[in-house]
Amino acid sequence: MTTGLLAYLLIPLFTAVLIPFAARTRHRLAGVLANVTLLAGLINVSLTLFNPANLASAFSGLAENGFALLMIFVIYLVALCVTFFSSYFIGNDSTVNRVPYYSLILTSVSAMCGIVTTGDFFTLYIFVEVLAVTSFALITSDDGAKGLEGAIKYFLLTFPASLFIIFGIAFLMLTAGTFSFESLKVIIASGLPVGGVVFAVSLILLGFLIKSGVVPFHTWTPDAYEGAYAPVSAYLAGIVTKVSGVYAVIRISMILRLFEIKAYHTAEVLMFLGMLSIVVGALAALRQNEFKRMLAFSSISQVGYIILAAGMGTPLALLGAVFHLVNHATFKTVLFLNSASLEKSAGTSDMNKLGGMEHSMPWTSWTSIVALLSTAGVPPLSGFWSKLIIIIALWDGGAKIYAVTALLFSVVTLAYFMVMQRKVFFGKPTEASRNAREVRPAMLVPVVGMCLLIAALGAFFPYIYAYLVEAIAARTIL
Amino acid sequence: MTNSFALDWYFITLIFTAGLYCMLVSRNLLRQLIGLEIMSKSALLGVISAGALTGNLALAQALIITMIVIEVVIVAAGLSLLVKNYRLTNSIDIWSLDKLRG
Repeated sequence: MTTGLLAYLLIPLFTAVLIPFAARTRHRLAGVLANVTLLAGLINVSLTLFNPANLASAFSGLAENGFALLMIFVIYLVALCVTFFSSYFIGNDSTVNRVPYYSLILTSVSAMCGIVTTGDFFTLYIFVEVLAVTSFALITSDDGAKGLEGAIKYFLLTFPASLFIIFGIAFLMLTAGTFSFESLKVIIASGLPVGGVVFAVSLILLGFLIKSGVVPFHTWTPDAYEGAYAPVSAYLAGIVTKVSGVYAVIRISMILRLFEIKAYHTAEVLMFLGMLSIVVGALAALRQNEFKRMLAFSSISQVGYIILAAGMGTPLALLGAVFHLVNHATFKTVLFLNSASLEKSAGTSDMNKLGGMEHSMPWTSWTSIVALLSTAGVPPLSGFWSKLIIIIALWDGGAKIYAVTALLFSVVTLAYFMVMQRKVFFGKPTEASRNAREVRPAMLVPVVGMCLLIAALGAFFPYIYAYLVEAIAARTIL
Repeated sequence: MTNSFALDWYFITLIFTAGLYCMLVSRNLLRQLIGLEIMSKSALLGVISAGALTGNLALAQALIITMIVIEVVIVAAGLSLLVKNYRLTNSIDIWSLDKLRG
């Protein structure tokens, strides 16, 4: 555990405990407390990340663990966007109780910070489970039948995933006698036979693959995202399932690559599952009618890129995976928050009932365009760079068929998003969209801010690349 | 102390299979949860057995106690979901969960 970053874990937890007492009679105070805590954390972490001294020295003097710091930045950013959005989204007639809602969001933020700062598998498991419990409750926060169904399906698939992780921990104890990443590296370097360790790590990896919703295990993902309360689905898709599943997969593949030839088959399976997710997710997204469900399948497809790069396992591919994880958090949060705005002002997110929304909701329409172009990998935006790194790394590593397929399916990504944009925002206004109004300016602030960040990440790519190389590749991967 | 490792894992597999069977044959959500619980008990036994074999019993105990606490929380959350679902739909049949599809 990186103790220097412990405050990012403890302060949200403290506010989460404080909210039920402080906001018992004044429920609106809960949102204010949550926003202030997350904003303070975000400013704090940005000051470390964007410190001029760090920028000048190209991040070589960064004291903290760079990967954890970057992930904490993304966690706080997405959580702040979601809480700020929900403090205006939850109306006075809503069935959502603000106090447990914000308290649970802050608890899950602290659990996620625990996941990204931990240095061993057992602590990782504990924080992942804490995160899972808070997500069950958050998905059902509007007490709807759909949310309940999504939460039960999520529950029935994440519980067996934890079983695999526990069995993996048992085998790790048998074969390596330790759970920490650093001692595993020492054991690998010592040259002893490591077949058992590879098996144990692969079992843990399988558990995290189920939790991240990679294709053969993806059935819970669309249901949970579609059923969840609208801002919560942005939170889930943007960061929660990415940290609880995909982050752990990247972390494990950083260990797997040290096994070199001995973990060849595990890496091969990982790459195959990633490719399968890209293909199945993109093809399924083409034929969806529900906006949020389409975004969920698109999310599966984008996770496929990350898993594919993680399976490749070269330092460049891992950097691509990390950067795509960050980008995925930004653009998917924008798209899901926009779907929540649509639901609020037009009353539906069924794409066949919507149309011509660009006239009544221009801001929502334009921010969706920016986010979808970034997802599809159109040049000036951030998504282009991460996909470029991943595809170059795949080509370099000799996986040429995978590289070409990944390139082709980013065209399919553009296709299904264009279908979405045409159905929802362009064309003739329908009955539902004629009465719709643009949401309040305050609800547009998180979305527009995220869009600016997407553009900035693309424009200042040299700095981002310097950060990735200096702070992550040089310390965590090698 | 005799090494009972093989016997341990024989029973762990047996318990795991019992839980899996319980999950596969039943349409009742509550029985699915019970099956999952049985399976997770076998996983915890696996950790204890691994600790006993490597002489790390104290570490294994610490892990097990933490895992049991976490599992109780998760099962409580799962049961609350089932109760909420029962109040809403008056059914605990797993095939009644069919509102989301496509």
